[in-house]
Parts: sequence; structure tokens; C-alpha cells
Amino acid sequence: MSGPFCHRARWALLAGLLLSACTVEKAPQTAATPDASFAPLKTPLGQVAGMRRLTEAQYRNSIADIFGPDIKVAGRFEPIVRPVHELIATGASASTISPAGLEQFDAMARNIAAQVFAPDRRAQFMPCAPRDAAAPDADCAARTLMPIGRYLFRRPMTQEEIGAFVMMAGKGAGDGQGFYDGMQLAMAAMLVSPQFLYIIESAEPDPAAPGSLRLDNHARAARLSYLLWNTTPNEALLRAADEGKLTDPAQLAAIAQKMVRSPRLEDGVRAFFADMLLFEKFDEMAKDQIVYPRFNPDVASALSEQMLRMIVDQLVTRQGDYRDLFTTRRTFINRALGPLYQAKVSSMQGWVPYEFGEGDDRAGLLGQAGFLALYSHSGRSSPTLRGRAIRELLLCQPVPNPPGNVNFTAVQDVGNKAMPTARIRLNAHNSDPVCAACHKITDPLGLPLERFDGIGAFRRTENAAPIDTAGVFEGTAFQGNVGLGQALAASKSTTECVAGRAFQYATGRMPEDEEATAMALEQGFAADGYRIQALFLRVATMADAYRVSTPPLAKPQVAMMTSPHIREGDRP
Amino acid sequence: MQNHRKLILLLGALPLTTSVLAQGDAPPKPTAPAALPAPPANGEMGFVVSHFAPAIYQGKEDCPQGLAATLRENYLQTQPVGERTRLLEKANEKELTARWTGYAFGPDNINICTHPDKFDRPPQRMVQGKVAQGLNLDDDEGGAAAGDTCGHANFTGPAGEPGVDNQMWRAMGCVRTWRGVDGTGGDIVKGLTQFLVSGEHSQVLLLSGVDSLENDPDVTVIYANSEDRAVVDSRQNFIPGASYSVTANGAHRNVLKGRIVNGVLTTEPAHIRLKQNWGQGSERDIRGRRNEYDFTRARLRFTFQPDGSIKGIVGGYQPIWNVMASASVGGEGAATTAGYDCAAMYAALKAMADGDRDPATGQCRRISSGMEAWAVPAFITDRLPQPKVAQR
Repeated sequence: MSGPFCHRARWALLAGLLLSACTVEKAPQTAATPDASFAPLKTPLGQVAGMRRLTEAQYRNSIADIFGPDIKVAGRFEPIVRPVHELIATGASASTISPAGLEQFDAMARNIAAQVFAPDRRAQFMPCAPRDAAAPDADCAARTLMPIGRYLFRRPMTQEEIGAFVMMAGKGAGDGQGFYDGMQLAMAAMLVSPQFLYIIESAEPDPAAPGSLRLDNHARAARLSYLLWNTTPNEALLRAADEGKLTDPAQLAAIAQKMVRSPRLEDGVRAFFADMLLFEKFDEMAKDQIVYPRFNPDVASALSEQMLRMIVDQLVTRQGDYRDLFTTRRTFINRALGPLYQAKVSSMQGWVPYEFGEGDDRAGLLGQAGFLALYSHSGRSSPTLRGRAIRELLLCQPVPNPPGNVNFTAVQDVGNKAMPTARIRLNAHNSDPVCAACHKITDPLGLPLERFDGIGAFRRTENAAPIDTAGVFEGTAFQGNVGLGQALAASKSTTECVAGRAFQYATGRMPEDEEATAMALEQGFAADGYRIQALFLRVATMADAYRVSTPPLAKPQVAMMTSPHIREGDRP
Repeated sequence: MQNHRKLILLLGALPLTTSVLAQGDAPPKPTAPAALPAPPANGEMGFVVSHFAPAIYQGKEDCPQGLAATLRENYLQTQPVGERTRLLEKANEKELTARWTGYAFGPDNINICTHPDKFDRPPQRMVQGKVAQGLNLDDDEGGAAAGDTCGHANFTGPAGEPGVDNQMWRAMGCVRTWRGVDGTGGDIVKGLTQFLVSGEHSQVLLLSGVDSLENDPDVTVIYANSEDRAVVDSRQNFIPGASYSVTANGAHRNVLKGRIVNGVLTTEPAHIRLKQNWGQGSERDIRGRRNEYDFTRARLRFTFQPDGSIKGIVGGYQPIWNVMASASVGGEGAATTAGYDCAAMYAALKAMADGDRDPATGQCRRISSGMEAWAVPAFITDRLPQPKVAQR
């Protein structure tokens, strides 16, 4: 029993306990007491201050946590569009779902519901048995759907919602179908409801600032959970929201404190950095097999995981300084990556820790093959792409796009023996002052990485010519990746950037006064020794993050909920 | 010959090509090439074998009467000239097919490839040339029987080295699927290499005590299998620098004593056993059984290459059945689809066998063999053989 619902027999046994033996952190929504799970929402829904679409990982994690990891989620997720120079998390705040995307969600929902109510599994999720499996049973349907809805919607369902879904279960059980068919239909409807597919940030009047709004308790629960653990709120968090604890700063801080100390913070940190570093680009990364025959699918699939393991190890496991992420020699390696790093891998399966040697130019995040390969062309390295990625992703300094009429002939002519290295080719390219303006911003950060080719493999020469890895950043000259990492680690821009990104990631919006917020957060980050847990805690508990500054949205109209066809008899 | 050279150069850019030597081609130099890598600081060098197949030399005088005949051709030769002519008419193709495929079966419906020893057929055409790849396995440059060997003619190596023992090539070198044509090895070369690529029976080498790649009188070589799948690129070439571990099966971990002279590593004679996984079986009850490379008095000769790889020959005496294991396992299909006259093949191998002489009958049961082997640098983790413990 790994999902949130214990077996029916256990349910009865544990009904009186607040936290049961099957309540574990990894499977958080277990053993809800009947009074919590079976009660409709006591207060009216708050005003909708924002809606953020669940990411694919959040959807999958939510289903796994609510129903168990054995429930398969099969389907294609319509991507959330990333706004330029922002996060997917901010894009999620303005993400719609196309009809084709909804069809996919519908197919996934029906499949999930079929698995949940399959004969060998349904007892885990049902506190009752229908009087007649061949006929509707409104009472049992309500008792089953209410706790499920509470987890899926991240708040108790309203009486209206309960009535609508019970009605749907009843109608689905008719016409020769049975009770469980109706339950599948109702649950599938829940899974395609905007209440599930979107994290709805509902607001209430802020007593501390009359006339203003703040996120209400359940919205805060979802905020905390998706920010810190990248999944749906667990039972403890929902209960805290039910009890109004999350609008109390002290209690909010205590709960957030516990959450950042949990091993599940790893999931949150992974999701944050995958967003910040544009990991969705790994899905579309392609390398020219003639130029890089060794870049096989095993290598491609290992690159992003290596970076995440390295990040988690430094920031979560070791609770290290964020700045050291750019200089650490520790990483992880697997057998597929061994040849790329020319490193002996002691274990033939899985990942093992690996430490680059002193004097090796491999170190830090920028020395990982994943970063180097991602920000390269398919058949050659690119100091410009790498420099731009460092500026935009790690320093939050947007670089303008090149004009449309640029002549790239010089930089693309990689076989030209007269211009054997990228530095020489870029110098030729930059004889055009229009080009030079931007390349001055990017190339001094990308050229130090030129001893790594387009897939991140080390090389001493290009076209038999030695590679010059000199670079400059904020007035400091350095050599190679190691020097670049040290320069980034020493820069306030680096730490301000990640602090600002964390705020955007948490709230789904750019702060009103971006610079001031980032600076304030950075100061706190510095005071905390640049520990990521402390930064996440700070973002999760700062009052500004819960303040609603924009006018509330109109209440979403879900046709089913306003249908005049909901009969009194369908209500539980 | 220029054309041949061009073809070989072209093929060198393709995956799974062979290093087939054709007459007139420059043989591998026995002396050390220039600019060898520096010896490793810890004296250890690992390799994974990327190519392991019969060493092929396409001499012009090898098969003056043509390639070894197919079963169909041999059947036709059993017929009077008039009947042969009639059968070869287009209208009689169906009858001919029925008759020559029937020639693949003997009493009790046994087939010629699974039980070649039960058929009395003359040996297939064999190599008549004087040059072949291989090693001097009996330390004798003549061909007289000595010790447990049988009398045989020696080849001269492509570089002129005398005393090359490779009776396997003499018996099999006119078989089309071994010999190949025009500088390209036969199907067996591609097939055996593919087994390495697919990880059926990875082979690794771990050299220790290497102080110089030019000359070192004392090097230990572990030649073993690995259970780890090959790490290959998109062209199916082995990627240098991958990691492998030595098999836990001590029977397939051969510890050899070697020396390096002028950039060439040779090992002292030893019994080398290596796993060989392949085959779909046959009615001789070897379906699914794991075969084995089994070389007695075996030795390695590898030349260090400037790119860090090694190339050379693994030589030894192997049971004659092992040489034709592929055809034997193929059974009826090998005879009627591939067209092998396995009885003729068996007869040739038996006649050419030159090792492990049975004192009672005087018949040799093993045959001297030269396998061409290449290996690319790899990280090898050695594993001492695990003691055998009763499981039940």
C-alpha cells in the first residue's frame, strides 16, 4: 500500500487516528480521517488570483502520490510555453490547453480512472461497497469521490461539485453500465477539471492590509508543496490549511521549515533547476552522428541526470554553498558517460560518485558535458551559445537576438585551416561592428570552454591548433572553465540571479520590483551562507510572495457545475 | 592491385570492416610504429576486443580450382554428365533442388551439417597458397610431426616470417563465407564481430606491469570475457575509454605471461578458454548451449598502435568441431539454405588437423588456428575468480 488510501479495512481501523502507520512522507495523503475527507468545503471559494497549469512532472508526481506509483500515466503532455527570458513556472501562469491537448488529458484521465477502479485495486480507494454493483449508488459514490476530490483539487470539494460528480457517476452507471463505470467517468471528469489541471491560487481579504488580498490557506498549501516538493499537498498540509494555520506566519514558517528539511526537497530542487537551466531543450537536442558518432542515445539520456545529481548533491545532500556549484570537482558518472569523460567507472550499473582530478579543467556546473553539449550546435561547439546561456540563465542578463541579416559564413566554416579555432573565426566574424556588440557580451564567457567540443568531450586542439581559453568577466581575466567557474562564484550577479529565479518559480510571476526583490533575497541568501534550503524557505515564507497584487480573475465557469440538470436526488 | 588498395581504404571508413590482407598488400609491420603512447603511470593498460575473427589472407594462388563447392555443386558432380546437363536445364530446376537438398540428409533423416562425421564425402577444396596469417605455434619451422602434433605444411606469414601454423585457414580458406572476395572478408568475419558489438561475449585484455610500449621483458596479460555489454557509437564501432569488468567465471579469465619487443606484445603458450555465446542450436542437442573458444598452446601477438589500440593475432589449437560450429549449429538450414557441404568441410578439417594427436589412432583432434584480433583502449576492472560454492 503505497498510495494515499489505505485498504478499506485499515481505513476503518485507523479512522480515529490523525496520522496512521501508512502515513509516510513519500506517500503523503494516507489515512485521511473521515471527518476531513468527507466534509465539503466549509467556506466559499476564494477569489481566483491566478491559475498555474501543472507541469508534466507535477501531474505525474501528484497522481503517484495520490493513487500510488503503480498507476501508469501514459500520454503526451502539451508543453507549457516558456516566456522569453523567464521560467516555465511563469509561463504556466498564462498557459491555456488546446482542444488537442485536452483530448490527451482526457485519454490519460480515463486511463488513470480505469486503473484506480480496476477490480484488484478499487478497494484501496473506497470506504464503502455499492448496494448493487450494477446500479448507481449516490451515497457510496459521494463517500468515495469526496476524499479523492479533496486530494485532486487540493481542497475540500464544494457541495455543488460533489453533487455534480455524483450525478455524473450516477449517469455513467446507467444504460447497462455498472456502478464502477460511473465512478470511472466521474473521476476522469475530475482529472480533466481545471481544478486539477491548474493550481488555482485563490485569495481572501488580507486583515493586515485592508482592501488588499492574500492567498488563502489551501492556495498556500499548494504553493508550498509544489515549490518545495514538486507535488500535490499531503494530508498534513491539507489539514493545516483546513485549520487555517498557513495564514499564520509563525505556523507557516514552522511547516515550511519541516518541508525544506525533508529528503523530498530534492524533487523541488530538481524541478527548479530543470526549469532555470532550460532542461526541456534536452528533449530536442540532436548531434550530428557523422561529427559525433559516440553521442549515442545512452549518452544523451544521461547528460541531464548527471547535472541534476551533481546539483542535488552539492546543494541538498551536502547542504553546500550555491557558489561552490561552479567550482566543485564532485559529480556523478555512469557507464554511458565514462568514455565521454575518459573516466573509469567502477560500477557497471547505475550512477557512482566521481571526482575530477586537480589540474583537470573539468569542474563545476559548466564543466558538465550536459551544459556544454546543450549549448552547442549539432556539429560544433559554440562559445556564443554557451556565453549567452551563462549570461541569461545563470546571471539573468538577457542578450539580444542577432539581427536577421547576419553573415555567419566565417563562424560556420569550421574546416577552414586558415581559421582553425573558434576564437579566430569569431574574431573574423566580429569585424562587423553590428555583430561585435553582442559577441563582446557572450564570447568572453564562452571561449574559456572551448577545450570542450560540441558534446562536451575534452580536446586540446581544434584543427591541430592549440586552443586559447582566456576569458574576462566583470573585469577579471582568467583561463579555462575552472577560472570561469571561480569568476562566476565570486559574482553577486550569480547569487542575485538564482534568488530572483526562486521567487519567480515560487510565485509564477516576475516581482513588481524585480531588482529590489532579487537584491533583498540575495542579502538574505548571503546571510544564510548561500544555502539553497534557506533560500527556498525564505521564498516559501516571505509575505510578499503571498500578497495578491493583481486584480482577481473572474470565477471560472465550469459548465457541469452550473448545470440546471443537477437534480436534488443526485446530491448525496 | 591499385584498385584493391583503393577499395580497402574505402572500406576502412565503414563499420565492421575487416583487415583482410590480399596478396600484394603491405603486411603489418612487426616492428614498433612511430610515436607510440607513453606507458601508463601505473603500468596498467586495458582494452576491449573490437574484432575477433579468422585471420584472412587472400592469396592469388590459394584456390586455383575455385572456391569450395556448395552442396548443390557437389551433388551434381555425383551425377553422370548427361544427367547433370539435364538437371541444369531451367525446366528441371525444381527437380534439381529437391535432389540436391535431399543430398543433405542421411540415414534416419540426419542432416549433413549436424552430423557431418556420419557422411563419407571427400574433403572440400583447400588453400594451396604458401602465405597465410597466423603464428608459429609449435616453435618449428618445418612440418614434421613432433610431440602431440601431426605432420603438416607450414605457411609463410605475409611479412615473410616462417613456420606459420594455421591449418584452419588451409582447410577453410576456400569457403566463400570465410574467404570473402576482393579484400573483404566473408560473412563469418562480419558475423563474429557483430557478436562482440552486441555484447554476446565481450572480450577484454588487461595488461599490467607495462613499463614501456617498446620493450618490456615482463608483462602480465589477463585475457578474459566480460559480462558487460559493448559501448558502441552510432556506427557500431567500439568507443574507446569505456569501462568493463572481468567476468566472475574464472574459467574465462586467462592469466598469461608476456613480453614486449619492438612494440610487439607476445605471450607464452597457455590454454586459453573464452566464452562464445551464439547459435540457435540443432538436433545434435546443442540448441541454446554456450559454446567456447578453446585454444591450447595458445599465444597472443599484438602490435601497439599510435592511436592507443592494439592489433594482432590470437593463435592456438582448437577442436575441429569448434571451427565448424557455426555450420553445425545451423544444421539443415546451413546445408540447404547456405549450401554448405559440411561433410566435405569436416573431412578437410580432419585431414588438416595438426594438434592433440590421439595416441591410439594417430588422428589429430585439434587444428592450428589464427584469429585476427583488434582491441581499443578501455578501463578494465579485474575480478578474481569467485570460489565455487555448492548452491544446493
